[in-house]
Amino acid sequence: MSSIRLRNIVKRYGAAEAVRGIDLEVTPGEFVVLLGPSGCGKTTTLRMVAGLEDITEGDLFIGERHANLSAPKERGVAMVFQNYALYPHMSVRQNMEFALKPLRLDAAEVARRIEDTADILGLAELLERRPSQLSGGQRQRVAMGRAMVRTPQVFLFDEPLSNLDAKLRTQMRLEIRKLHNRLGATTLYVTHDQTEAMTLADRIVIMRDGHIEQVGSPEEIYAHPANVFVAGFIGSPPMNMIPVRMEGATWEADGFSLAPSPHVAGEFAEGRDLIVGVRPADVSVGAADAAGAVRARVEVVEYLGTTALLDARIGAHEMRIETPAAQRPQAGSDIGILFAESNPLHLFDAETGASLASDIATSKQEKE
Amino acid sequence: MNKPSTRQAFLIYALLGAALLVFLAPVYLIVSSSLKPTPIMFLRPPAFVFEPTLAHYQDLFALRPFGKFIMNSLIVSLGSTAFSVFFGSIAAYAISRIRHKRMNDIAFWILSMRMFPPITVVVPYYIIFKTIGLLDTPLALILVYSTANIPLTVWLMKGFFDEVPLALEEAAAVDGHGAVSIFRRVTLPLAAPGLAVSAVFCFIFSWNEFLFAFMLTGSEAQTATVAVMSFWSSDALQWGRIMAGSFVILIPGVVFVFACQRWLARGLTMGAVK
Repeated sequence: MSSIRLRNIVKRYGAAEAVRGIDLEVTPGEFVVLLGPSGCGKTTTLRMVAGLEDITEGDLFIGERHANLSAPKERGVAMVFQNYALYPHMSVRQNMEFALKPLRLDAAEVARRIEDTADILGLAELLERRPSQLSGGQRQRVAMGRAMVRTPQVFLFDEPLSNLDAKLRTQMRLEIRKLHNRLGATTLYVTHDQTEAMTLADRIVIMRDGHIEQVGSPEEIYAHPANVFVAGFIGSPPMNMIPVRMEGATWEADGFSLAPSPHVAGEFAEGRDLIVGVRPADVSVGAADAAGAVRARVEVVEYLGTTALLDARIGAHEMRIETPAAQRPQAGSDIGILFAESNPLHLFDAETGASLASDIATSKQEKE
Repeated sequence: MNKPSTRQAFLIYALLGAALLVFLAPVYLIVSSSLKPTPIMFLRPPAFVFEPTLAHYQDLFALRPFGKFIMNSLIVSLGSTAFSVFFGSIAAYAISRIRHKRMNDIAFWILSMRMFPPITVVVPYYIIFKTIGLLDTPLALILVYSTANIPLTVWLMKGFFDEVPLALEEAAAVDGHGAVSIFRRVTLPLAAPGLAVSAVFCFIFSWNEFLFAFMLTGSEAQTATVAVMSFWSSDALQWGRIMAGSFVILIPGVVFVFACQRWLARGLTMGAVK
């Protein structure tokens, strides 16, 4: 098993900069997910690790080896492609054999590895079939099998589940995690699906516009987003963001005001613009006339079984609120939002978007 | 697709039959004339029932070394086909895969080789081959035909290579294969229909070519097409032998096309159905 180290990696296509200086270390056996919207440079980064794109600047190490100029075949990596890239003129067995050919193993070892891999992935019955005779899920398995038979130093996945339907995706996600637990290979996995990232990753790397916004465990990223972008990108439905301005002893939002908690109250200058963030599930809801509640009008109620999603208007803002389904209010009714009891509240700088502090307990007061 | 009704089926077969009649009428003329004794060859109305003779065929091989001319044609056609398909495919692969702003210009330049009328270069070719001592050799014709066949192959194969997904080659590269191995084991097998189409076109062109063969060969490297025409002299038109020769030179082309047919049918319709 190898580590992967990226040092200040840059990728330019002419004048356009696709990746703008990435530093990342994947430790041996770790499962790291590159997550971001399309065009953020995550796939380009993965392809540079695989050797399918030249690295414009910076250094790539696979294990102890400086790999910038190594051909793909010298890097000891295996990759699962988004469209599987199975060789259509070869059977499943031949697809795996072809991947093993450069290793120059003897025939018995080749056969043994293929049988083992087929057993693990449930492909034993399909070995003589052509890719065109397989379903999407089976092709996905073959693509993984073809990567696995080589027992590579490093696994690379490029959005491997994005072509599957929702049910199959959930199932394959679980299998990939089980496989990783079993093989323990160093894995770099690209996706734009936050659920995949949250469920699979040891660590998530959130990317945007060619640079890294935050690196951390799923828990860290969810609980302590480094900035507004990460806060809005992770979590479904996304975090509510309310722009406020420091005025006297209160935070003035458009149409209502909050009282900051004493321990941050003195920290910000008068007139400073901030963003208060709270996740839909963290919003505390009470009666409209409860003490300390900000009045909000429920506009839409979405019933989801165990929970319900409320779309509520508060001042000039809309807030998404998740409540237990049994306690959901009627659409059109008024509720009280208890910011003081909503925990955690996230605080960001309105200009830079950077996180200022988290877990701020507030006491609130309704605008006169 | 729905099964056609009896009426539709009748129409379809009637149309096919008419087309077949148009295409096969000359072949019938060639075959029947080649088997008719000379005196009844030009009877009007034509004699549909007659006692066939193989005399023209015997003359063909007795009076001239026609077997040798057929062999010359085969050497030239297969030689040029192999040469063109080999170099044409690797050139097409480069044009298909290398991203460069002048690549289209290069591709167009290759195509432009086919644009001038062949007859304009007959005399220069004659002088060149005479100077380097290749006149009246199969190699001269192989080279000349390849100048026409390579551009054709490049353009045909470029289309087929473009259809092979780059991801397959990338997968093979990550799997540890080098460029040659990837081309030979992944890309080329997937473009096999293109190879068959190119080979058939190159072979048919080389096999049927008359002008260059007539001008650049003498007794040694003469091809079958030229040999057939030699029965057409200033004092006599030996129709029986011309027809017999024509029928004999029809055969290899048909055999070659049938041999490639398995790939050909797929090749000609590739891209039509996705």
